[in-house]
Amino acid sequence: MLQKIKEGIEIRFGLNSLVESKLKGYKIPKGTNIFYTLGIVAMFAYMVQAVTGYFLLMYYVPHTEHAFNSTQIIMNTVPYGWLVRMVHIVASSLMLIVLVLHLISIFIMGSYKKPREITWLAGGLLILVTLAFCLSGYLLPWSQRSYWATTIATNIPTALPVVGDLLANILKGGDSVTGITLNRFFALHVAFLPPIFLIIVGLHVFMVWRIGLSVPPYSNLKGFKANFNFMEEKSWTEYREADYKESYPFFPNFVLKEAFMITVFLAVTFFLISFMPTLFIPEAANTPADPFITPADIKPEWYFLAPYQLLKIIPNKFFGISIQIIFIGIFLFWPFIDSKGDRNILKRPLLLGLFIVMLLIWFVLTVWGRYS
Amino acid sequence: MHRRGFLRFLLSVFSLTALGSFLYPISRFIAPPLASKFTSKLSIEKDLIPVGGAKEIVLGNTPAIIINVPDKGYVAVSRVCTHLGCLVQYDKKSKRLICPCHAGVFDLEGKVLSGPPPKPLETIPLKVEGGNLLIG
Repeated sequence: MLQKIKEGIEIRFGLNSLVESKLKGYKIPKGTNIFYTLGIVAMFAYMVQAVTGYFLLMYYVPHTEHAFNSTQIIMNTVPYGWLVRMVHIVASSLMLIVLVLHLISIFIMGSYKKPREITWLAGGLLILVTLAFCLSGYLLPWSQRSYWATTIATNIPTALPVVGDLLANILKGGDSVTGITLNRFFALHVAFLPPIFLIIVGLHVFMVWRIGLSVPPYSNLKGFKANFNFMEEKSWTEYREADYKESYPFFPNFVLKEAFMITVFLAVTFFLISFMPTLFIPEAANTPADPFITPADIKPEWYFLAPYQLLKIIPNKFFGISIQIIFIGIFLFWPFIDSKGDRNILKRPLLLGLFIVMLLIWFVLTVWGRYS
Repeated sequence: MHRRGFLRFLLSVFSLTALGSFLYPISRFIAPPLASKFTSKLSIEKDLIPVGGAKEIVLGNTPAIIINVPDKGYVAVSRVCTHLGCLVQYDKKSKRLICPCHAGVFDLEGKVLSGPPPKPLETIPLKVEGGNLLIG
């Protein structure tokens, strides 16, 4: 009976041949380490956000008079509501950590170079969309912290000449953060951003699938202790399928690595929820929004601390924001700026030094912003 | 002009008309109407604010503060920091208005003394009429 069902499915869908050609037939270059799985971990984190978000929608009310209370009801009254919301909160921060690690590993591996420039650009845009998700979701609990962090964020465009005030007003739906802002951010969070995200992630995944994973650039270095030996990828001069000298199948070999990393992600998520539940929820996040009192110790989430601190230390607002916009532009189009040169960052001390300095600046600004 | 060329021309005209007719209302829909500030008025007894004291008020939707500045009299300024929109607080001890978000410091008339705010706090018209303060 079971055999007949299997045969019936096979006749209609041809799953076996799909698995053979698309999964087992899809090759991964030898030498890929666990850092190559961070993309799929990030994808998994997005799915966790989507699923928990759907459940939160069942109880959340996007209205200034009910938003905070409905969040409290989710946390305190709805059976396991706290778990759903905590997963949503903790996984969002972990998702950003995974994205940052993914970005760092891609940079160090030189995987953004030809022909993967568009993959990088799509990935960069995904990070920006993710930050927009975080920002728009942040206001929804209508707490003191979310209200004032959003006030700061939505006033940032006012630094731009001519259109600044208009942009800020469009974001807020008026002069200040009100119920209109809450509705706008709610619409952004659950309706506008998801399709934008899906389109970009579709492009990103398509490009990864189409071009294939990059071969690690350091494996042929003298003195590098690697138990494998293969040549660099052939140079890309025309449209072709991914082609590796030594490779292994995507399924089951690489999928197993990915599954391992996903379980690590889940383990960290549930560890933090169980043993460090207040890590991402400070006191001001448990106080309802008061538009007439700015709390003394208001801080944005950790991923916005660096730009927050930069705005604090640079006296000219326009200059402070311009620096950040220029940096984002350079970041997005980096593969086109750094189109020449070796893929191996270890052979490029200047670039390596610059990258470490940038990371250090980001880290120092984040810590400084947290404790200033 | 050939028929196909004419069709292409019409296609462009109607596409642009449809796009424009769609984008204009959408842009108007998204952009909020610009409300003029401080249109409402407020009257309070001036004796409620002693010399060196202050009273926080809300004028229209804008949080503001009236301060009885020693030797200068009553001053009303918006509490919205001109840097990134947090609300300044009156520090009686230092006689300053201080923004808790990015450490902007203003004097009691709203002028920037230090920190990142690019311009002074917005001043609000204030008149003394008998025993009352008329703000706005």
